[in-house]
Amino acid sequence: MTSQDSKIIYVESCPICGDGLCRIRICISNQKVTGFILCDECEAMWTDPLMQERVPTNVDETDPQCPSCSQSIWGKNMHWANIGEICLLGWFDHVQMVDE
Amino acid sequence: MVQKQRQDAAINALRMIPTKWAVIIVVAIIGYVLLQPQLNKRFGLSLPSVASLVGDEKQTSQKKQEKLNSNEKTSTTNADSNASKAATEEKSDKDDSVNKAPTSQPQVSDPTIGAERDSEKIHGFLTEVGRNRFESPAGLVYGPGSEEGHRLKHIERHLEDQPKRPGSHGVFEGDMHAFLVAIDDAYSRAKRGDKGTKKIQDEGSTIYEASFKKPIGFLGGQEGGRKRNPPLKQLRIVVRGKSLITAFPF
Repeated sequence: MTSQDSKIIYVESCPICGDGLCRIRICISNQKVTGFILCDECEAMWTDPLMQERVPTNVDETDPQCPSCSQSIWGKNMHWANIGEICLLGWFDHVQMVDE
Repeated sequence: MVQKQRQDAAINALRMIPTKWAVIIVVAIIGYVLLQPQLNKRFGLSLPSVASLVGDEKQTSQKKQEKLNSNEKTSTTNADSNASKAATEEKSDKDDSVNKAPTSQPQVSDPTIGAERDSEKIHGFLTEVGRNRFESPAGLVYGPGSEEGHRLKHIERHLEDQPKRPGSHGVFEGDMHAFLVAIDDAYSRAKRGDKGTKKIQDEGSTIYEASFKKPIGFLGGQEGGRKRNPPLKQLRIVVRGKSLITAFPF
């Protein structure tokens, strides 16, 4: 385990529910790495760290789908981003970090 | 031992009565077993279960709790150690948690709504309606989902403070049963559009908010710590369709 694993990396508090943290979720499918912003409380999603574009969710979905691979956001292809992945996405300037 | 004696006595009593009557009694018992939960649910009765009549209720409810725990285990993919610790603590429902608020009793605005703990139900309140899916009296469904693997596990996080968590973290004062009762109460009132409630539509989700007359919890997290954990009197519930996504005091 690295020190990164015990850190919460987030963009900001959720503007929708007010209690969640908007964190970067990574999807790895078909050798493609994509990132999106996900509130860890209410599961609101955005495509970019400026949080300008919402990802619509279907009212019938128990788990919302990843905007890239359409699988569950809690599926095995998904995880919270680490610092390296955030740098690769070019989103480092948008995040804050705290010890878990 | 005592139970075996009781069973032997029942068998002996059945032997003493004519076969025709024995068959009728057995059919009546089977009918009661099948109808008792439906009658209790539909008419709000509290007919005792056969298990409780023969003194086996404790084992039955224990089995149910074990079943829920095993279901939660199978559905949890990423459950962290904190979540499982919380689940273990909650099992007894009576333990005082380390980070819980100083006051002891949850104070929901209308404790009469579904407040009675039904040992036959999950957390004394929810009815199993499908594989790993549980429904509240108001119709909210708690199913698999979230990072913790199950929505019940997810909302359990709001029974304890997380002082290191950035921002605010609403903490409910009370056990899981009281939390579920409060959620159902808030959901019912907000759906009806009662005074002190709000309903917000948001991209496939609906957010319900409801006020309570007394504090139901306190503000935790880093922000709560900075503000000396002020009491909270409102509950926010996020649902998709009838499925609960999250709920917390704010």
